[in-house]
Amino acid sequence: MLARAHTFTIDGLRTRHVTVEVDVRRGLPGFTIVGLADAAVREARERITAAILNSGYEFPARRITANLAPGDVRKAGPGLDLAIACAVLAASGQLPREELDRVALFGEMALDGAVRPARGALAVAHAAQRAGMRALALAGASAHEARLIDGLEVTVVEHLRSAVRVCSGGPGDALPERAGASARAGAGERARDEEAGGRPADGDGLAGPDLGDVRGQEHAVRAIVIAAAGGHNALLSGPPGTGKTMLAQRIASILPPLSSAEAVEVTRIHSLTGERVDALATRRPFRAPHHSITAAGLVGGASRGSVGEVVLAHNGVLFLDELSEFSRATLEALRQPLEDGRVAIARANHSAVYPARFMLVAATNPCPCGYAGDGDRCGCGEADMARHRRRLSGPLLDRIDLASVLRREVADDPRAPALTSSARARERVLDARARQAARLAGDDVAVNAHMDVRMLQRHVRLDARGQEMLRAASRRGMLSARGEHRVLRVARTIADLDGSERVRAQDLGAALALRPEPTVTGNRAA
Amino acid sequence: MSAAGRTGGEPGACARCARRSWLLSMLSGPLDCCARDRWRLIELLALADEELLRAVAGTRKADLHAQYARFGSEPPVEETRTRMRETDAQGGIEADVETICHHRRDYPHALDGPAAPHMLEVAGGAARLAELASAPVVAVLGSTRASDYGIEMARGLARGLAASGVSVAGSVTDGIAAAAHAGALEAGAGSIAVMGGGLGVACPARWRSLYERVVHAGCAVSELPHDCAGRRWGQLASARILVELASVAVLVEADETAEDLFAARLARARGRTVAAIPGRVTSPLSRGTHALLMDGASLVRGPGDVLELLYRCGEAAAGRRSSASGSAWAPVSAGATASGEDSQSGLRRELRLTLERVGAGCDTPDKLTRAGVDAAEALLALSELELMGLLARGDGGRYLPTAPSN
Repeated sequence: MLARAHTFTIDGLRTRHVTVEVDVRRGLPGFTIVGLADAAVREARERITAAILNSGYEFPARRITANLAPGDVRKAGPGLDLAIACAVLAASGQLPREELDRVALFGEMALDGAVRPARGALAVAHAAQRAGMRALALAGASAHEARLIDGLEVTVVEHLRSAVRVCSGGPGDALPERAGASARAGAGERARDEEAGGRPADGDGLAGPDLGDVRGQEHAVRAIVIAAAGGHNALLSGPPGTGKTMLAQRIASILPPLSSAEAVEVTRIHSLTGERVDALATRRPFRAPHHSITAAGLVGGASRGSVGEVVLAHNGVLFLDELSEFSRATLEALRQPLEDGRVAIARANHSAVYPARFMLVAATNPCPCGYAGDGDRCGCGEADMARHRRRLSGPLLDRIDLASVLRREVADDPRAPALTSSARARERVLDARARQAARLAGDDVAVNAHMDVRMLQRHVRLDARGQEMLRAASRRGMLSARGEHRVLRVARTIADLDGSERVRAQDLGAALALRPEPTVTGNRAA
Repeated sequence: MSAAGRTGGEPGACARCARRSWLLSMLSGPLDCCARDRWRLIELLALADEELLRAVAGTRKADLHAQYARFGSEPPVEETRTRMRETDAQGGIEADVETICHHRRDYPHALDGPAAPHMLEVAGGAARLAELASAPVVAVLGSTRASDYGIEMARGLARGLAASGVSVAGSVTDGIAAAAHAGALEAGAGSIAVMGGGLGVACPARWRSLYERVVHAGCAVSELPHDCAGRRWGQLASARILVELASVAVLVEADETAEDLFAARLARARGRTVAAIPGRVTSPLSRGTHALLMDGASLVRGPGDVLELLYRCGEAAAGRRSSASGSAWAPVSAGATASGEDSQSGLRRELRLTLERVGAGCDTPDKLTRAGVDAAEALLALSELELMGLLARGDGGRYLPTAPSN
């Protein structure tokens, strides 16, 4: 007799629908699972046999073949156990077969028949809803996560017997109490809000460090607000102790809240890493990997299914402190995500594409000792400086739209009044973003930083003085074509922050002052 | 061969001068030991061949003496020159390295002193060297560890001088020297690079492209054979060629160390006019220049002051300069060398005020804002002044006024 059940497997960030077909027929007793299953799925045989017997059902002493379709997709993880077990029961007549077509099953089996939560419940729920399943049955511990998806009935099954009851038209188990307080452990600085009601991103997400803590550094603060408003990649440089890191950590607090689509994406990524997710993320991710990170750690792919920092920073901020200390290979690995907003991981036995559209914020010392330009303290020789510049230069700097230099004397004034607060800055950022969204509605980008050359021509109208300045800049060889585009994008954002539809000379002047170009001591060698 | 050398018609050096150059390269090791005492090294280099052998050759004296005696009988000069061409073919650069000796007519007259090099290898052509050395030559000296201020001053000084028809000379090392060559190139003029080792090996890799541009527009000279690494002594020895070529030596930025001040003191000892650009008294990188100024060096604020010194020196430059500045030496990059006074008087008021503020120390956007300028206006003014070439970006987010070009 043949029975069919539905479940899902996770391949990178994609969730694949898997149909489990179980055939029970006369022959030598045995249990075979076919269909590109990995070790965890093959071991399911033993778990399922024991679970069925320990739950008081009969395990058919016949020839059982379980096929996981489609046959060309690799199936990983123990989440398919529950579906296979139910299909075996249905094929041997212990469970009505019709209901199995409408309920997706997702969970790992324990030997006593209990259902354990498996990684990626949110992604599975999302896929089940799109696949048109009526309900999704899974373990109580991952039910809160799955319930974040609208339009899908989530049924709790804590035991194989409950699954049989649900598939026979009975009720599911009770939803367990949410273990919110204990889930906080290990969440680290990951942006998310456990108190929010679980519906998309309406929390203001203003928890965390506030921009008002920064004293002085008016222009650096301004640069950060510009970067946040236009989604520009930014570089902060300055001597140690001037507040580069402090400033960068506050960027997340002035970014607009996640849209509901973005929130689902971000939460799905969290869910994939095996972290408990009880509510949709409301704050943008802020990832700050240490500079000893490897290329595999940054983009992912160290082992099957491992997710890199750039993916975890998707829709948020990737902060690289001490940029010049990162290894060359690591920084090179950033090129694709910065260019395409995604990473494609190809390894011998798997390949996957992850979304990775983030805002890059980097901080660096101006020279190896850190004190270049700070009085006469710098003791670096020309060779040291050249080495330092070489590490920073190249494709990465090409992708950075604006640079701000922090200086010590300004940072040292603790009595300076707070210039702004995160709430105020965020309001301006939101205004500017709304203006951008209205202007870029026809194009498939959301922020000025992602405008291509054609959009620049259409959306950046300079006044006469600005045009003259731009001509002078290229005449003097101060701007390459690419540099000019970056300056125009930043100028567009500055105008947006001021609420101006036209890009004025003063916007262009500020953008030019923020351009990341070498200094007198840096650009003299040809 | 030597007869041909004296007429100056044929390229190449006479055998005696080539032998001297060979001897120096053979004695490179012992000379490097002697270089601990800079002034003794200069004295040694003034010795005749035999005396020099006796003074420094040590245990290899007999062997070297025998080789020295045999030198004329073999054709090592031709050999060297052939080998040189081979390296050129491989490297693909400096195709026209010429060798000249002080018996030739096109040998720079300025180098006729007692300790002058006997032979020079010239990349870029002996004719180019003669042309550059016939104009007044200014040596730009300074520390290899320079601040952005020093770099900017050196570059502006060289640019202004080169645009006025004066030849700029300097070594090709970090800091001030490299900035001076870059400045001369900006004015579209050639400069004289005095190398501290053989032309094939002396240039540090990071200045390779600058060196090639200098050779393309001007020339590079060295008294050592093509592939002889000059080491430390070669660098010191090249300082004497540099200051002797020049009628005025300008120290742009230097600490008060024997190392940084050596070339300037040598210039004074050789009777050249020594000048210095002042810096901030609190900066260690200006201690050397200030010490020199205290000792009576002339104070230089820009190219104009150096030209003044050249006239006073009685150089026969006046005629040449006035004829040259109109045509061949006219600045190429428009705007870059625009006269500071003229462009400043034509400035809008807010730009002039900003420029003055930056010059007076309000040199970052933050400082300007705290001095009461509106943030947006400050950035606009700074960017506009940068576009005009009146400000440049220094280290640490500061802006610095570019060196006046007159």
